[in-house]
Amino acid sequence: MSPVSVVGVSHLTAPVEIRERFAFAPGEAEVALGALRTETEVQEAVLLSTCNRTELYVCPGGNEGVQEAAERVLAEKAGDVVGGTKQYLYRHDGEATVRHLYRVAGGLDSLVLGEAEIQGQVKDAYELAGRNPGTPALAGPILHRLFQSALAAGGRIRSTTPIGEGAASVASVAVDLARKIFGGLEGRQVMILGAGSTAELVVEALARDGIRGLVVSNRSHERAAELASRLSGRAVHFDEMPFELARTDILIASTSAPHPLVTRDGFRHARKDSQSGPLLILDLAIPRDVEPEVGNEANVFLYNVDHLHEILDDNLLKRRESVPEAEAIVDQYAREFLQWYGARDVVPVIRSLRARWNDVRERELERLWRKLSHLPANDRDVVEAFSKQLLNKLLHDPTKRLKQGIGNGRGVDFIDAVRYLHDLETEEADRSEGSGTGDDEEAEGIGVDVTPAKDQ
Amino acid sequence: MTHAVALLLYVGSLILWFRSLLSGGRGRGAVMAFALAAAGVAVHLLALARFTTEFGQLPLNGLGPSLSTVALIIGIGLVATLGLGEGRRVGIVLVPVVILLEAVAVSLGIEPAPEMLDWQGAWFAFHVTLAFAGLGGLAVAFASGLLYLVQLHELNTKRMGRLFQFTPPLATLDRLGRTALVAGLITFTLALILAWLWTINFGQSSDLWNPKVFWAVMCWFIFVAALGVRMGDGVKERRSALASVVGFSLIVISYLGLRLVSSEGGFFL
Repeated sequence: MSPVSVVGVSHLTAPVEIRERFAFAPGEAEVALGALRTETEVQEAVLLSTCNRTELYVCPGGNEGVQEAAERVLAEKAGDVVGGTKQYLYRHDGEATVRHLYRVAGGLDSLVLGEAEIQGQVKDAYELAGRNPGTPALAGPILHRLFQSALAAGGRIRSTTPIGEGAASVASVAVDLARKIFGGLEGRQVMILGAGSTAELVVEALARDGIRGLVVSNRSHERAAELASRLSGRAVHFDEMPFELARTDILIASTSAPHPLVTRDGFRHARKDSQSGPLLILDLAIPRDVEPEVGNEANVFLYNVDHLHEILDDNLLKRRESVPEAEAIVDQYAREFLQWYGARDVVPVIRSLRARWNDVRERELERLWRKLSHLPANDRDVVEAFSKQLLNKLLHDPTKRLKQGIGNGRGVDFIDAVRYLHDLETEEADRSEGSGTGDDEEAEGIGVDVTPAKDQ
Repeated sequence: MTHAVALLLYVGSLILWFRSLLSGGRGRGAVMAFALAAAGVAVHLLALARFTTEFGQLPLNGLGPSLSTVALIIGIGLVATLGLGEGRRVGIVLVPVVILLEAVAVSLGIEPAPEMLDWQGAWFAFHVTLAFAGLGGLAVAFASGLLYLVQLHELNTKRMGRLFQFTPPLATLDRLGRTALVAGLITFTLALILAWLWTINFGQSSDLWNPKVFWAVMCWFIFVAALGVRMGDGVKERRSALASVVGFSLIVISYLGLRLVSSEGGFFL
């Protein structure tokens, strides 16, 4: 039986204007998960919603009704979409779902290969499904195990392969460079020349690391003021730029000026009285805003568009080269999860098998005691111990092979065969009238791990 | 035996440093390498403490004990970078220096000096310890200076490979190098003052061409030069890094040279 299914939409199936319609805010996600609870067939659910994907993981897998319920939740969120929502949605079931989640957590399915943010987003989604005040959590034993394992797989992919190595966007290259020059960015002064969108992204990335102040300078002061207010900075007139340059640690230039705005002579003049330390210049403009000779000045680190793209190409190539290694980790974790899940099916069978032959053993002993009524109690104990030992030895290999069968994908066949050959259907029916399942307790006795994964 | 354990821990640490370098500093390799080096320092300290209690003298006299003590002080310098984040990665340069010194010490034998000179009192212990601490400071400045030049090269060649990722930020390295130089200069100056006082007290030679005097004065000037180049315009951080690297190399080379040419027995260290 399939453990889990996923229904979702991602950057691979839908453009951003469609994806944003499927996106859930945290509060909305809780409501949606609550609505799913009313669907009687849905036993467990986790909703993952990021800017590049919205996915609903549901248990049990292989169940059309459960998958349709999940689809309905997503379709209701998206509302009316031209041509319907189905064209953008994908479904995976069973092993494909497991592998998909591991690939997602490892950044293999991300828009930017190997990006790290998704790991935290998967964790948040899992935690959200795990805390529903007043009601039982929607992430039950299967999704708990699956998501813990996915987070472990993602962590291992990032720590043992170069998939997340090196920056993968101009903004992250800028942050990496700034960190390696200044150490921390706390208290650093940033100046933007121009009002380009890439420069804005770079500043947003730098701001997350705690820069002190931002100055925006542009030919159009209105545009500078608008950008400055959006980024909590200060707009200055273009002719004040040299004065600000003397106090700047990071300069981002992205104007559309036809000639360099920062010349070597102008730069020397601007910083001649300055005791300032290093200056990082990111010249994102074409034609360039900063004369290349400025890069030869002491303590200046000048990067233009070509430099940045060379770095990005190199980093992305390294990331792509590490994909086979990362996929091997996905395979390993998927195999382990499916083994664990399969073991959940095999536990009742092993329990029934043992119970069945233990009953036979006890009956035969009763008959024997009637025939050997003169046997002293000590001798009876010896015979009884022998019978138990014999039973254990007889069942040892079948039990071991059953568990191995789960690992090599033949588990279901073996379970059916054992049930049939040992007439376990009758046994299980008799036992089910007796007590509860007691799977975990029984599994412990026969050495099958059905406990959820430990927190990683 | 305890020295061998310390040496093994240092070697293990060095292997982990290089593994961390190859992975661009990702994962916990650098943390493990630092922890192993710190364990090596603890065992090393224990070994020299046992030497002191066993032989009733500090391990400051005789080539083997002295080299081992210098190695330990450099190791302590590394442990002192604990709170510096990526700055701890100077261990990749310092640990090989420690291994080299300790290996030479172990191969020469870490045994007590056969003769006790009359000026080997508490003042001598202070003098030598302060001088060794000064050299330890210069070793840390050398390591941070070397990594500073490596990182600067990576930035100037616009590469952001594993070496770039592993090497600490320029600002961190500069701060570490400056602190190590200042601390080293203070302790080394105090050591020289004490040495001068003994020379007067015990009638020893203070002739500048005495190898001990020449080497000690040269070391002091190297400290001053490495700090002095920070004044003036231009990239003072780069100048200081370069001066630390060249200065430390000069000290090591001149020491080896003086040991080879000096006919004077009992040349220190």
